[in-house]
Amino acid sequence: MNVTATLFGQMITFIVFVWFIKAYLWEPLTDAMDSRTKKISDGLAAAEQGQKKIEQATIEFSTRIDEAKTKASVIITDAESKSKTIVEEARVSAREEAQKIAKTSAQQLEQEVNAAREKLKSDIAALSLLCAEKIITKEVDKNMHDQIINEVINK
Amino acid sequence: MDNKAPATDSPVEYIQHHLTPLSAGEGFWQINMDTMFFSMLLAGIVMFIAYRVGKNISPGAPSGMQNVLESLMDFVNSLVKEAFPKPNKIVGPIGLTIFVWVLLMNAMDLIPVDLLPKLADMAGIHYLKVVPTTDPHTTFAMSLSIFLLCIYYNVKIKGFGGYMKSFMVHPFGIYLAPVNFVLTLVEELAKPLSLALRLFGNMFTGELVFLLIALLPWYIIPIPGSLWAIFHILVITLQAFIFMVLTIMYISMASEESH
Repeated sequence: MNVTATLFGQMITFIVFVWFIKAYLWEPLTDAMDSRTKKISDGLAAAEQGQKKIEQATIEFSTRIDEAKTKASVIITDAESKSKTIVEEARVSAREEAQKIAKTSAQQLEQEVNAAREKLKSDIAALSLLCAEKIITKEVDKNMHDQIINEVINK
Repeated sequence: MDNKAPATDSPVEYIQHHLTPLSAGEGFWQINMDTMFFSMLLAGIVMFIAYRVGKNISPGAPSGMQNVLESLMDFVNSLVKEAFPKPNKIVGPIGLTIFVWVLLMNAMDLIPVDLLPKLADMAGIHYLKVVPTTDPHTTFAMSLSIFLLCIYYNVKIKGFGGYMKSFMVHPFGIYLAPVNFVLTLVEELAKPLSLALRLFGNMFTGELVFLLIALLPWYIIPIPGSLWAIFHILVITLQAFIFMVLTIMYISMASEESH
């Protein structure tokens, strides 16, 4: 083999070929592949983060739910006991009130009865006096009349 | 059987005819038209495909040719990353180019040996060597380009003095400098020589075997022909791969800091 123009021609072809591949294929394709690699790894990282967030949210959710449940049950028991006490109190006060009312009404009644009795007594006395006056004006028989008056009063 | 007569009548002439390149010019200006034509044609096809893929890159969802080229690039890149501790911008494209180009030029071997020469003969071209890698000009062109790049890297990384020093002190120490110089010189020169001759030799003998098979009677040809072709697919790929790997290795050795 001699050193010929063919050799140099092939060398030039080779060098141009390498340059062309580097400029028009290798570099853009490498960039594209790198950006894809980055995108994929970013996406995977984001997905993992999302998964983590979901897990955290689930945990938080369940704790919140538990808290709410306990709170609710506390509130319910509270309310129940409160309502019981209120009802009890109401019952007690109602009873007391009723007793009071009954008592006062009984006293009043007694007073009124007494008053009526007193009034009746005085009325009867007045009436008897009136009767006595009338009788006296007609005939005076003190003993007999006294006996009658006493009988009336005692009645 | 008249049209087979020349082949079987004078096998030596037939083979010699097939191994004569279509050349123009004398001495230094000898230009092997067939070698240049087919290598440039294949390079042109690859460049065309590369240009089209490179212009329409879809970073998100690659498809078709882009997938093929991406997997090839990954393949080359994995080899480069093994050999190079620090990133190097030019080795990857060189490796890819060599692999694809050598593979395609070798693959011309699988076209029936008589087909293209016969067609050319009809068109008035009487000599045609179809496989560019059976021309040592092609293989030496690549290996010498790589050799020059290696020298460039040696000088760039080690400095001219450092490079010369590596000739003197390797492998026996400074006291045997002349011996070292000869040995290292032979070692360095053997790299491009072996690189070029390995590919050339493999392809040349492969072509020769195809020619010998073509000399057999037509009813025997299919059996050894197909067997050799199937085996040759392996040789083609292997030689392209070896050329690429050795190129990467040589450049990585040249760009090492010190021995």
